[in-house]
This record gives sequence, structure tokens and C-alpha cells, in this order.
Amino acid sequence: MTPKLEWLDDPEVFRVGQLPAHSDHKTYVNSAEVTNGHSSFTQSLNGNWKFHFSDLPQKRPVDFYKVDFNDTNFDTISVPGHIEIANFDQLHYINTLYPWEGHEYRRPPYTLNNKQIEKGLFSTATDNHVGSYIKHFTVDPKLRGKKIRVRFDGVEQAMYVWCNGHFLGYAEDSFTPSEFDLSPYIQNGRNKLAVEVFKHSTASFIEDQDFFRFFGIFRDVTLLAQPQVHVEDLSIKPTLTNNFQDGKVNVNLKIQKDNIPAEIQLRIIDQSGKEIYQSKQTADKTVNFSNIELKNVHLYDNSDPYLYNLEISVIQQNGKALEVIPYNFGFRQIEIKNKVILLNGKRLIINGVNRHEWDAHTGRVVSEEDMQSDIKTMEENNINSVRTCHYPDQTRWYDLCDQHGIYMMAENNLESHGSWQKSDGVEPSYNVPGSLPEWKEAVLDRAQNNYELLKNHTSIIFWSLGNESYAGDDIAAMQKYYKSVDNSRLVHYEGVVHNRQYEDQISDVESRMYDSPQAIKEYLENDPKKPVILCEYMHSMGNSLGGFKDYMDLIDQYEMYQGGFIWDFIDQALLIKDEVTGQEVMRYGGDFDDRVSDYEFSGDGILFADRTPKPGLQEVKYYYGRKK
Amino acid sequence: MVEKNNPLRVIYGDGTLGIDGENFHYIFNYGRGGLESLVFNGKEWLYREPAPVFWRATTDNDRGNNFSKKSIQWLGADQFIDVKTINVSVDGKKIKFPSAPENNRYSNHEYAQKVSIKFTYTTLTVPSTEVTVQYTISSDGVINVTTHYFGNSKLPELPTFGLRLIIPTVADDFEYDGLSGETYPDRMAGATKGTYRIKGLPVTPYLVPQDCGVHMETDRVTVTRSSVKNNADQDKNTFSLTIKSNNKPFAFSCLPYTPEELENATHQEELPLPRKTILTIFGAVRGVGGIDSWGSDVDNEYHVPADKDIEFSFDILNSASM
Repeated sequence: MTPKLEWLDDPEVFRVGQLPAHSDHKTYVNSAEVTNGHSSFTQSLNGNWKFHFSDLPQKRPVDFYKVDFNDTNFDTISVPGHIEIANFDQLHYINTLYPWEGHEYRRPPYTLNNKQIEKGLFSTATDNHVGSYIKHFTVDPKLRGKKIRVRFDGVEQAMYVWCNGHFLGYAEDSFTPSEFDLSPYIQNGRNKLAVEVFKHSTASFIEDQDFFRFFGIFRDVTLLAQPQVHVEDLSIKPTLTNNFQDGKVNVNLKIQKDNIPAEIQLRIIDQSGKEIYQSKQTADKTVNFSNIELKNVHLYDNSDPYLYNLEISVIQQNGKALEVIPYNFGFRQIEIKNKVILLNGKRLIINGVNRHEWDAHTGRVVSEEDMQSDIKTMEENNINSVRTCHYPDQTRWYDLCDQHGIYMMAENNLESHGSWQKSDGVEPSYNVPGSLPEWKEAVLDRAQNNYELLKNHTSIIFWSLGNESYAGDDIAAMQKYYKSVDNSRLVHYEGVVHNRQYEDQISDVESRMYDSPQAIKEYLENDPKKPVILCEYMHSMGNSLGGFKDYMDLIDQYEMYQGGFIWDFIDQALLIKDEVTGQEVMRYGGDFDDRVSDYEFSGDGILFADRTPKPGLQEVKYYYGRKK
Repeated sequence: MVEKNNPLRVIYGDGTLGIDGENFHYIFNYGRGGLESLVFNGKEWLYREPAPVFWRATTDNDRGNNFSKKSIQWLGADQFIDVKTINVSVDGKKIKFPSAPENNRYSNHEYAQKVSIKFTYTTLTVPSTEVTVQYTISSDGVINVTTHYFGNSKLPELPTFGLRLIIPTVADDFEYDGLSGETYPDRMAGATKGTYRIKGLPVTPYLVPQDCGVHMETDRVTVTRSSVKNNADQDKNTFSLTIKSNNKPFAFSCLPYTPEELENATHQEELPLPRKTILTIFGAVRGVGGIDSWGSDVDNEYHVPADKDIEFSFDILNSASM
């Protein structure tokens, strides 16, 4: 397979050579490893990588992936990290307008009746910067002799990958993992991984989130080894029966196996450590544990996030485990009855926030401490829900939300407001994805990546199709996809309110953003079709968060009004060394000579960017504590 | 020398009215149009004369809904004001304005129980309106300050209305009986009533400096300092001034910056080094809003309408005598 630079220009090329998306389960050699959390199947490739920055695609070191390439002139960069924060490229913040505003004139391929892609739209563009990454590594002895793949948890915005000179593939969808099989090329000595990351591709049209525009490898890179029999995908579908008293679980596995016999053992353990179920089956390509019935199950909700532990073991004929997989799951039922969202049969109240991944020093490279701190802040301030605006977060965040009972709206990586929100309002003449067939597969792929990765997280009660991308056949197809694979959760999308001909096909809820309390009343007083939530409200920019009561009163007044997600959790600003005093100061859009910018508009958190609380937080705590 | 029954000694100067008592000394300057000096136990508490305030540094929501543009006249009014008249009353009786040569009939031994001086200002707005600030000093030295805004329906809504005391040095801390945290009329439900001591003069570090640090529903605030500008005073002990509510609670902020200083900075680090203490007592505070930051207005009930009179009153006390 030969990589082509033109893929950057083509919305129909978004994944090449990648392994299919699958659940985010972790694999261990034995239960002792499960207990200590260190897997001998993994090897981190984080750390220093060789790096070269090119300001033009045509100036990039084309041969850098070759084994004999001389990289002595390369710089060093820390992975994970943003290329801009490492000061190779200019920092830039802009909201709605595309980041090339005022610099390039672009229209998305196939819009405005264009029948073909525009050659060089990104592949020869002067604003398409390139990061060429090289990592030399030796496979840890414990991984040797097994199948090995590499996983990139997050790379913005398009990348080509090579191993030992062989081309592995191409990936977009910056915020979900991309995996490539290294087995055919890996060797016991020194190996070379080469990654070419582009700042832009056609994905830029649908990753126009209101945030700092970064590129580079910004999440973990890991080698993963698989034994001869390996659980490639795990699906746990718990349901409640008998009026929320009993539980039923369906567990479906996709197995990758060589021709050796093995058994799959499934155990379910409650929080006291008691095994409440056990079963074994012969390992086949698929293994289904169907309709496991459990009596008197403990329900899961925000106040009592009770999780059961599911343990899958792949056992060889000699009785030894090849692979052990732990996964926590809970029993909760989310549904709409009589136009009201119910959780475990009770009306759901969303006391939520939107959360971008943010750290004032490292941008969207977020640490375990950051996430633990965010969970603590949410718990202390009666925040019970989070929307992953506007992309999937790193998977650890979903684990934490499971554990702490923070209900999740798990959003796709999709935002195209630059293609239809214009200065005079809605103007979708070149909206993508719209109803364009050439864009449909790319957004469906994003839906599938999001679903397959995160499907087993109990805390997820809504899938969200994306943010501010207008509405058309393609987003309707995303909704249809979610409904076809998951009947246990609701699907959310706000953008359909701007194109109501799709409202019966898109979104189970009437979702609004920034509507006044009066506007919500008007909807609810006029034969409402769907329960109402505010996917964004209480815009917390600067000194704000006044008038909260008007929204909270709606919860008492209308059963179908079910709360919302504050915009947003944390200011997006960067701590930078002041050129005058040498002190660390908080900087925002426009502070890096970046034009066009939206300046301080990313400072809308209930926390400052350094995670200290804004004064308004006590108001959040009070009102979110009133109704749960 | 202090007379027991008439403890206030009144000094009828050519340009000022001085009032002296046990542990306090005040000077009102006619030409400058206000209270020029407020001394407790030998420590000066004023840097410039207290003046009515109308402006608040634009918040992000104010910018988004164009409130600052609509009310821009008040920015000018906040910086400059005309003094129209000054009236002096002694022991409840209005006296002929004691400028020269009228004051030749007084001596260096004039005493009273109560002295009141009222400044009437005209705002530099179109049209203009009047604001009065009346200081009434009672025999115990307590200064009651009553500030009155005369409503005018032709003026735009007010960003805020209060009286600003510029204190010569940076305070060590301030302590108040009121609500926890930074509160505004439309954002105070989550606050807890109590006594709070705030070290330093923190400016809430909003990305773009803006109005901040307001404390609603306050019964008392005590500002404590240990530094003075007086070169002959090497004493480093702390000393305090207290503002107490009179009839109803007040709102205040205690910051190192004026609204204009905050307004002009685009980043926290552009703010000057703190050198003064700006203690503002508010009679009316506009809500901050929160629906969005690009147009939605603050709820009507949290506006400060221009057509209605606003009056508020508080007492200034020497903490050492409390």
C-alpha cells in the first residue's frame, strides 16, 4: 500500500489500514496484574521522540520513515504534547470561523454542487504544517513473541504511520484511538516508528470546535501485545427486569485466535468480593454469554454508583490464563416515558457541566491528577452530569465517571459551525456533513469509533451526535446507527432545532443552548414533542452565573424540563511566562499574534484555567444541591 | 481641650472646615469639593476626596449585550464631577457658608455637638442630574454619610451607584459581616451569612480584568492597614476603619484598583502594582447576568434604572473606639 498525500483533500478517505474500533477493555496476563494495575501486555512509547517541523507539506522530509534515514538534524519533542505548546508552531485560538479565516479561501469538497475534490486543498496548502515524528524502540521482553499493535489514543488532525520502513496506514478522527498491527514488521532488536502528522485535512471542516487549534500526538502512544487467544471486543449489556429488581446481562465477545483450544471464563463479582455468577464457554470467533440472570441487583445511580466487576479469563487447556480482563458495569435503566426522561423509573434531573479537556500548562493533554481534581470538584458542588464537549475524552475519564456516578453525555468528535453559522445567522450553503454522501461515511465512522470504544460505560446515558453541525441526512444516519447498535441509551443532538424537518429522525430530546427561561417556557407550553434539556446554558464567561434561579425554577414548574449542562467547566487559557516580569501569567487567544482570534471567549469556566474556583461556583453548588 | 458637652471642635478655615475630637480629625475642602482628610488616632485614611461612583469595569456579559455602550456616559461621570453647592449646619442649624470673610466671626475655640456638611454635585452627563453627599459628624466622632442620586428618566441605566473612598496605602486585610464570596444581586443565593476576613486585596482573576469583588448584604466592613504615607510615622502597628450599615445592609468592594484601571487592562498582568485601597460602598448594584455573553440582558429586577432616586447611608467609625 502506498500512502497518498491527496488523502488529505478527500473526505472519503479517513481511515486506511487501521484495526477496527473496539471496546476500551484492558488486558492482563493474570489476576495479580489486574490487582496491581500493571499489564505485561503493554509498553508505553510516551517520552521523547525525534521531531521535525515543516511549515509546508512540500518541505517535509519525505523519506524520514525509512530505516536508514539520517535524523541527526531532527529536534526532540515530548509525547504526548501539542506541537504549538512545544513552540514549534504558533498558538491560535478561534471559535466559529475556520482557523484559516483571512488567510485561505476554502470550501468543503462536494458542497456548492462541486462534483470532485479540489486538488491541493490541504495537500499543498501553505497553512498545512507538518510534524514528522520518529521513535526508536526495543520491544520489552514480556511482549516478545506475541502479536503486537500500536495504539495512538489521540492525534490531531491527520496522520500517516510507518514501522521499520513499511507503511501501516492513515487516520483522522483525532479524539478516538487509532490502532495499527505491527506484527508483520516488528523485530526483536531496534524498531522504528515514524508518524507524519498534518495540521489540516478535510477533517478540519468537521473538527471546528471552539478551542485552541492544536496539532500533534497529544495522547498516549502504547504498544499492545495479544496472546494467541485474545478478546478483541467486549460488549456488556445489562438490563433490568421485574420492576428494577432483577438484572439480566448479555456479554458478547469477539475473539482473535490462533488454532489452539481455549476456554473463556466469565465471572461476575459484587462489591463485597462475592462471586455471584460464573460460566465457561469454548473460545470461538464469537462467544456469547446470553441472558445471564441475576436476582436482586443493586441499582446504579449518581447517589450510589454501585458497580459489579465482570472478569473475563481466557484459559488454556493446561488451566493457565492467557489473558484476564476486568470490567466494571452497573445496572441502570434510562428511558423516555410519557415524554419524560426516567432513570431507574424516576425522573432524571441533569445538574450538568460541559467539560473540555484542559490543563493551563499542557492544553488538552490532561493528567490523572487533573481528572481526579475535576471529579472531586463535581462531587463537592453537586454536579451530577458531564457532557464531553465536543469530542470523546481519554477513556480514563469515563472510568472515573463510572466510579463516581457522574452521568455522561458522550459526544462524537463532530463540530462544523464554521460551515453554517454566519454573522447573520443560519446560512448552510456549504454546510458539511449536511446530506452529502461523500461526507457520510466519515461521520458514521466517528459514530462507530465513539460507540465501539465506550459502549460498556455505565455512566453514559446519552450518546451525542456532535455539536453545532446543522442537520441533514448524514447526521440522521448517525442517529440511525446508534439506535441500531444500542437500545439502552438515548441519543442527543441540538443542531436539529435549526432544521426541524429532521426532528423526527434526529435526537430523542429537545435540546437547546442558551435559550432564555422564557423561550423554554414557550416550547413547553405549546404541545412539546420531546423532553427538554439544555446542552449548554449559564454561560460562565468572566463575572457571570447570575440569574440561575430562573432556570432551576423551571424544574419545579415543568416535568418535561430536565435540567442542563453549564457552559462550561474550566477556562481554556494558558499559563505563559510573561515577557516583561518573567512571572507565569494567564494568556488567551490573540496573545500569540494569532489572528483571526476570538480572544477571551474561551474563558467560560466555573473554574479558572488553573482549576481554582471562580466565585460563582458557590451558586452552582447551592442550586445543584436543591434538586437531585 | 475638649468640652464635655460640646466635644467637636470646629475650625472655620478659609478654604476648609476642620473638625477635631478625641482620636479623630476631619477636614472638608470646599474648593476640592469633599472630605479631604479623615484621621483616626493620627492615621490618615483618605488619599483623595470620596466621590460618587457610577461605572463598573465592563464585564464580559456587559460587553456582549452592549450595556457599556448604552451607558457610556456614566464612565465620564465616574471620573469627573462638578460641585454645585456646599451647605454647612452646626448643631442642627444651617449656617451662612463660612468662607472668608464670613469666617472672621469665629475663633480658634469653636465647639459643637453635631456638624453636618452637604455637597451637591452635578453629573457631567447629558442631561445632568444631581447627587448629594451629606456628612454628619456626631459628638462621638462617628461620621454618617448619606448619598442621594436624583433620578432622571432621560439618562441611561446606571452600571452602579456608590461612594468611593480612596485609601492611601494597600490594606493588610478587610473583615466583614455579610455573605461569603463574591456576590451580586442575581448571584447570592449560594452564599452563607457570616463574618469573613479577606487577606490582601484580591482581584478575582477573570481572564480580562472586569468588575469584581462585590459583597452584597453587608452589615459591617473593617479595613486594616499597617502602612501610611506619613514619612514621620514609623509605627508598624495595625490600625482600622469600620463602615457600619445604617438602617439597611450595604454592598461594598475593597480592591486595589478603580473601575477605570480595571477597564483599561486586557490581562491581569497589565494592572499596575497595587498601591492604594479602593473601598466603594454601593447603594445600587447591577446584576451580572448569565444566560449568555453575547446579547442577553440581566433580568429586569437586577437593573439600576436611571429614573428612580437612590439613597443609601452608612457610618464611618474609628475601629479603635468601638
